[in-house]
Amino acid sequence: MNDVLVTTLLIVTLFAFLGSGVWIGLTLSGVAWVGMQLFSSRPAGDAMAVTVWGSASSWTLTALPLFIWMGEILFRTKLSESMFRGLAPWVSRLPGRLLHTNVIGCTIFAAVSGSSAATCATIGKMTLPELGRRGYPDDITIGSLAGAGTLGLLIPPSIIMIVYGVSADVSIARLFVAGILPGILLAGLFSGYLAVWSAMNRDRVPPPDAPTSFMEKLHESRHLIPVVLLIGAVLGSIYTGVATATEAAAVGVVGSLILSAAQRSLSWATFRESLLGATRLYCMIALILAGAAFLTLAMGYIGLPRHLAEWVGSLGLTPFMLIVALSVFYIILGCFLDGISMVVLTMGVILPTVQAAGVDLLWFGIFIVIVVEMAQITPPVGFNLFVLQGMTGRQITWIAKVTMPFFFLMCLMVLLLWWFPGIATWLPSKM
Amino acid sequence: QTKWDLPAAYPASNFHTENLEQFAKDVDKATNGKLKITVHAGASLFKAPEIKRAVQGGQAQVGEILVSNFANEWPIFGADALPFLADSYEAAEKLWKAQRPMFEKKLGDQGMLVLYAVAWPPQGIYSKKPLNSAADLKGMKWRAYNPATSRIAELVGAQPVTVQAAELSQAFATGVAESMMTSGSTGWDSKLYEHVKYWYDTQAWLPKNIVIVNKAAFNALDKPTQDALMKAGAEAEKRGWATSRKANGETLEKLKANGMQILPPPPALKADMKKIGDTLLKEWLDKAGPEGQQLVDAYRKM
Amino acid sequence: MRRFLDLLYDGAAWLAALSMVGVLAMVLLAIVSRQLNFHVPGTDAYAGYAMAASGFLALAHTLKRNEHIRVTLILGRLTGRARHGLEMWALSAAVALAALFTFYSVRLAWVSWSINDISTGNDATPLWIPQLTMAVGTLVLLVAFIDEWVLELRGRRATVESSEALHNE
Ligand code: NA
Ligand code: NA
Repeated sequence: MNDVLVTTLLIVTLFAFLGSGVWIGLTLSGVAWVGMQLFSSRPAGDAMAVTVWGSASSWTLTALPLFIWMGEILFRTKLSESMFRGLAPWVSRLPGRLLHTNVIGCTIFAAVSGSSAATCATIGKMTLPELGRRGYPDDITIGSLAGAGTLGLLIPPSIIMIVYGVSADVSIARLFVAGILPGILLAGLFSGYLAVWSAMNRDRVPPPDAPTSFMEKLHESRHLIPVVLLIGAVLGSIYTGVATATEAAAVGVVGSLILSAAQRSLSWATFRESLLGATRLYCMIALILAGAAFLTLAMGYIGLPRHLAEWVGSLGLTPFMLIVALSVFYIILGCFLDGISMVVLTMGVILPTVQAAGVDLLWFGIFIVIVVEMAQITPPVGFNLFVLQGMTGRQITWIAKVTMPFFFLMCLMVLLLWWFPGIATWLPSKM
Repeated sequence: QTKWDLPAAYPASNFHTENLEQFAKDVDKATNGKLKITVHAGASLFKAPEIKRAVQGGQAQVGEILVSNFANEWPIFGADALPFLADSYEAAEKLWKAQRPMFEKKLGDQGMLVLYAVAWPPQGIYSKKPLNSAADLKGMKWRAYNPATSRIAELVGAQPVTVQAAELSQAFATGVAESMMTSGSTGWDSKLYEHVKYWYDTQAWLPKNIVIVNKAAFNALDKPTQDALMKAGAEAEKRGWATSRKANGETLEKLKANGMQILPPPPALKADMKKIGDTLLKEWLDKAGPEGQQLVDAYRKM
Repeated sequence: MRRFLDLLYDGAAWLAALSMVGVLAMVLLAIVSRQLNFHVPGTDAYAGYAMAASGFLALAHTLKRNEHIRVTLILGRLTGRARHGLEMWALSAAVALAALFTFYSVRLAWVSWSINDISTGNDATPLWIPQLTMAVGTLVLLVAFIDEWVLELRGRRATVESSEALHNE
């Protein structure tokens, strides 16, 4: 069967289902089903059930529902309000003011969580209502959150780096260290964009509070203590060896419950609401994850990503052109598959080509993480878009549109990484 | 033309996977392209625990499994993970000869064929601290990843901890785990050398990957193709055992080059581990019943 | 009937919420046991099963609360018969896909039971037991979709508009 025909048919099916309002998780299953029935001789149903069960009960995923729950608990405390009170005097002179809280919050939380969706959901639960109440426009608020949430992958710990490290035989510890500078730089790019955007849209950014002296600022910072304590507890549990990076999510839940009790916002009602809210938000994501797992399986059977990767490898490109071609390849793939599937389905085929072109595999790992970050925010299948649609009720197309600038910033980041490979490789070389 | 899918759990760079790729090429050549096998490495199609079931149910026609993983289902599957029952490549080959007919019967009843088996390199003890005897393991955090390693922890008084393979490197870096029992190559794959200094070459056991085939899919092939498949399998087995020995030597060298001390077990540690091996064998025989005794007898007679 | 169905969705949701607490409990147990030097084998596997139960059992309740996401760009622009028609198509497709999902989930648990599929981890759980949550969860989802389908057919489905700032009250 001709690959072009297969691709066209699957994409048409996908858009037909999505456009007509079929639920997204079911749509992905439907496309996978159609693909397997038409283009592979394998029995689809039993394979689907085995794979969906395997991914839904996979221990490495447990951090996701727990971090979502943590976000729901914090949302019902005064924590986000006090975090904003503590941060406001410091960022109020910056162009963009409190908009930077999305970037700062996600950067810090990324050091705790290895997943992009969890980062987006947890920080968004705190910043979205606060920014909305203060009159910051929805488009830039939601866009910057979707973009910054992806930092969860680049700043260690990171699930995708572990997946890449194992399949490419690259040191995971070195990958983690290699992600730090690019992560901070990308956060800087996001913040820089927010500053430029605000300078150009002065009328849309709410006015600053009255200027405060340094001592006043310091005094206001006391409101940051609870949030610092919580993050310190979660990070501390990882680096002292009390918990693994996945288990740290449970420390986060307990910490937020304690905080919430200390602030007297913990009652049976708020506990119940946070628990049910988290269960529903996780359930929404779980249905999509189930569909994505089945779609990945179908792609594995049909072999589309593998054939495409083989084709790119056969072109005999120069290293720079190869990276350009791979960027395009992964951006397109990233529109339809989730990040981990992109890596496991293509690594075996792509790595020999990359090695033959003389590209450093550590550097390539960081490149892969950035293109996977892009995949989180490109429609129609982008998990940060899904999380934000679930949280705000906005159309996914609208969310994708307001996130677009951040997608281009990531493209810029890839170019910077190519021109200055040391951004990724310098820090690990000091290990 | 027939197309088969072969799910495998280990990364493309692992010697087992490379062997599978060669096997697929050999089959392709021997059958003039009539049987094409696609190797799906790195758990990209099915994850390790799902592969046996996928082959059994026909979702994959052929697959590679770490057979001792399935000891919960049938203790005989776990015989190659009994400490010091077969503690060298020669012994492991004998054990495989003794196991094979029993596997063929059991897997045959489940609708599968055994194509070939290749051993992993021998298992040693990774430890952050130097060890002289089993007493030094007391209280240490010991990664227990299956019932056998949990039991060893209990017997030496170590604190068994649960750490997933994906988080191994980090767990050892932060001290969530301090010791574990596995092969040189597994430790290399998960980069344990970055955080662990000592590896004791106890040669405790050599677990095996076996390649299994769905019987219905096999029966659907014509006779020459079946023969070509079996022949390529036999060659892959021979090649695999040789590569395993070579890979073991190479990984140990690589671990050394990365600053690890590769040490023979001190006599006291060796004696203690032997004792533990005897206890575990007795417990295993109680569980495995007459089948287990039959296997051990057959193995010891070889 | 209405009361029975609502009770079914909510009951499953409460079990799902309980499972979420189970995930937390299992992960905490893993942490605490390491600190206090005792060992509970299989906490990782149990956490995984609880997470699966939490995701699957809440499916119907989440649907009824209109929190499963979909693209309503076209639906939102249609009115009257056109909208009803497209909704019927989307719901029919959903019923069909949910039915497939349910059939194979039930089959998964059944096959696990008949071939005696046991977890390969330290927990050694017969897999059909945790897999029941997937079978039950998808079945309740199927019921909920049929329920929606019938309501839409009779024109009695309360169309919850994609309310902005759903959670950000
Ligand atoms: Na992270
Ligand atoms: Na995408």
